[in-house]
Amino acid sequence: MKRLIAILLSAVLVAGTFTGCSNSASTNSAKTGSAAVPSAAASSTASGEHVNLKLFTGKIETIDLMNEIINDFNASQDKITVEQEYQKDASNIIKIKFASGQVPDIMTTYEQGFADQGKYLDLSDQSAWWDRLSPEMKVNCTDVKSGKQYRICTNMTMAGFFYNKAIFSELGLKTATTWDEFVKNLSAIKEKKPGVTPWFIFGKEAWHLGHLIEFIPHGYIKQQLGSIEAKKAMLANDKAKLNFGAADGAMATFAKNLVDLKNKGLINSDVLTATSDNCVQEFVTGKAAMLSNGMWVLSSLTEADPKIADKIGFAPYPSYMPNSKPVVLSAEDSGYSISATTAHKAEAIEFLNFLFNAKNQKKYSETSKAPSAFKDVQAEWASTNVVSEVNTALKDAVNIGFTNEKPAGFSGDDAGRLVQDLLSGKYTPETFATAYEKAWNDGIK
Amino acid sequence: MIKTKKTGLHTFMAVPAFLLFSLFFIYPLIQGIGMSLTDWDGLSHANFIGLQNFFDFFKDERAVSDIGNTLLFALGSAPLLNIIGLAYALLMNEKFKGKGIARVIIYLPAVISPLIMGYIWYLLLQPGRGFMFHALELVGKSSWLGNWLGDHTAAMIVLVLVNVWQYAGMTMVIYLAGLQSIPEELYESAKIDGASYWSSLRYVTLPMLMPSIRINVVTNIIGSLAVFDIVMALTDGGPGYATETLSIYIMRMCYGSKTGYSTAVALIMFLIILIPVIISMRLTREKE
Repeated sequence: MKRLIAILLSAVLVAGTFTGCSNSASTNSAKTGSAAVPSAAASSTASGEHVNLKLFTGKIETIDLMNEIINDFNASQDKITVEQEYQKDASNIIKIKFASGQVPDIMTTYEQGFADQGKYLDLSDQSAWWDRLSPEMKVNCTDVKSGKQYRICTNMTMAGFFYNKAIFSELGLKTATTWDEFVKNLSAIKEKKPGVTPWFIFGKEAWHLGHLIEFIPHGYIKQQLGSIEAKKAMLANDKAKLNFGAADGAMATFAKNLVDLKNKGLINSDVLTATSDNCVQEFVTGKAAMLSNGMWVLSSLTEADPKIADKIGFAPYPSYMPNSKPVVLSAEDSGYSISATTAHKAEAIEFLNFLFNAKNQKKYSETSKAPSAFKDVQAEWASTNVVSEVNTALKDAVNIGFTNEKPAGFSGDDAGRLVQDLLSGKYTPETFATAYEKAWNDGIK
Repeated sequence: MIKTKKTGLHTFMAVPAFLLFSLFFIYPLIQGIGMSLTDWDGLSHANFIGLQNFFDFFKDERAVSDIGNTLLFALGSAPLLNIIGLAYALLMNEKFKGKGIARVIIYLPAVISPLIMGYIWYLLLQPGRGFMFHALELVGKSSWLGNWLGDHTAAMIVLVLVNVWQYAGMTMVIYLAGLQSIPEELYESAKIDGASYWSSLRYVTLPMLMPSIRINVVTNIIGSLAVFDIVMALTDGGPGYATETLSIYIMRMCYGSKTGYSTAVALIMFLIILIPVIISMRLTREKE
């Protein structure tokens, strides 16, 4: 009897193991099949079969609104069902999805490397969308290498200095256009308001320090070369034009300025361990006068204290090199791409048509607190005060875009870690510049 | 004497375990070895490049520095964990009031997720706003709290101490079990021979504890060399890459479009862990 039970139990376990394998194998093959043979799946759609579309996103701020829009879309017809999948670490998770063949039909993540490998559908022929989009945003959505559009952005985002207008007004300060004026402003804040951090930097989060490089020294290169030429120089790693390692170049000067601010106590002393949450708290409680960030920080600021909306000022990054002007980031945000291997191209476009209609985009813009990239959408994306501040900054400064043409092996996070090392004393400004140049070159290999 | 009869049943009963082991260990290991010989970026076609990934690893300054960080962490953590764990065990083996509560308190950190533990210590240690800052501020000594997590050397020391604080209780439990299995007669006999407390410890307790020492040393070496969560939560490998360990490096390379390379690094890490484990097992076995 005991032997029989033992044999039966062993058999069940063996069967269980194989059953697991068999299930997984059949599921995988079904998915792979649908992705690899679009024509067969497309014909099934044409024959009237129901289509399920996967939308993959990393945008937490629009999850609820997207669910609402998706529900409206699903209810408006009976042949397509859209499902939204949110992942906090979307830019990494999408790599796993590509690697495992579980590619979503529509996604909000975009990387130059994926575009180079033909992972996205060419959307250049979607003139109904491009005709409605602001020309600047269309340029930002265009792949420099191929001249084609593989994504369409629904919004714009800006980045610059957020400052406390009440503190500036109390001290009689004006926003700076040059680095000297900027340092004078910070010094005045430190002198007259000792309990206030003039500029709060949350350097534990390396991406934030990477953004400083993106907006200040990269911003200088972009304004000197022009947006497209700068992108081409970065893609080709044109060392003569980028000149990252020069001792008197944009990178070394940026590093020297930052170290000077640290030595003078004009930035927070815990710059290397402070987080974004710390920064928001310090700003809304009036303990920090300025912070550098993008429009995405607005919701955190107003959530922490709704009354702060009227005190928020916005200014460009001051010029810091000879013959340069202040710059402000004005870039594409919330881009949508379609997988090149999707079996449901027509259905994906049908859903995006619905998502991009003016009524939905008004809600989208107001929820994400970012101005719409579509010319026919009038949305109240922020308080009148913030909108006015942002418009003034955009008018007064050179508008630059994001650098999507960085080397694959050198991320913004890696760049931020170099700045951490600079602030912790590992590098001098000159060695920082050469380390940056080396990391950039190594990242291309 | 009980006679055992070998039948095919024994072999058959091992089949489920063998299948599971093959599926979840041998198959991924072989796959990993194969992948480590390619330039696979996680997306496109993988090309065979021989041992190039292994050569690249030793040419990469960041990777070599990460080996140093990992070894430094292990060299700090493993001995401290054993010394403090043994000290706790010796203390808890004595009779005193409140022993039960003391044991729970010492062991409690080990049941908390290391990621949560890392964040808790991060919040405690934040200069200018953390709990310790405010506590020291009350006694006028806030300047004692430096920005340790932002300093290359101090950050590593904090990581080691937090790790030891969290897992010393677990080491204690294994030593305590070992201590309680030592026959009382041995101590009585040593006492009759005039042995002091320290002599008993050296000539009775430690030799009898050798199996526990071996388990603790091996598990602590493995745990310390594979550390991930505490570092991610406390320093995120920073400032710069000052506290980045090999396991974090592997994760970042894997997500940084260097999947083949990261697999090669994982195999190197496997060897790095294997060498001290074999040495310590040999040494403790000889002592036994």
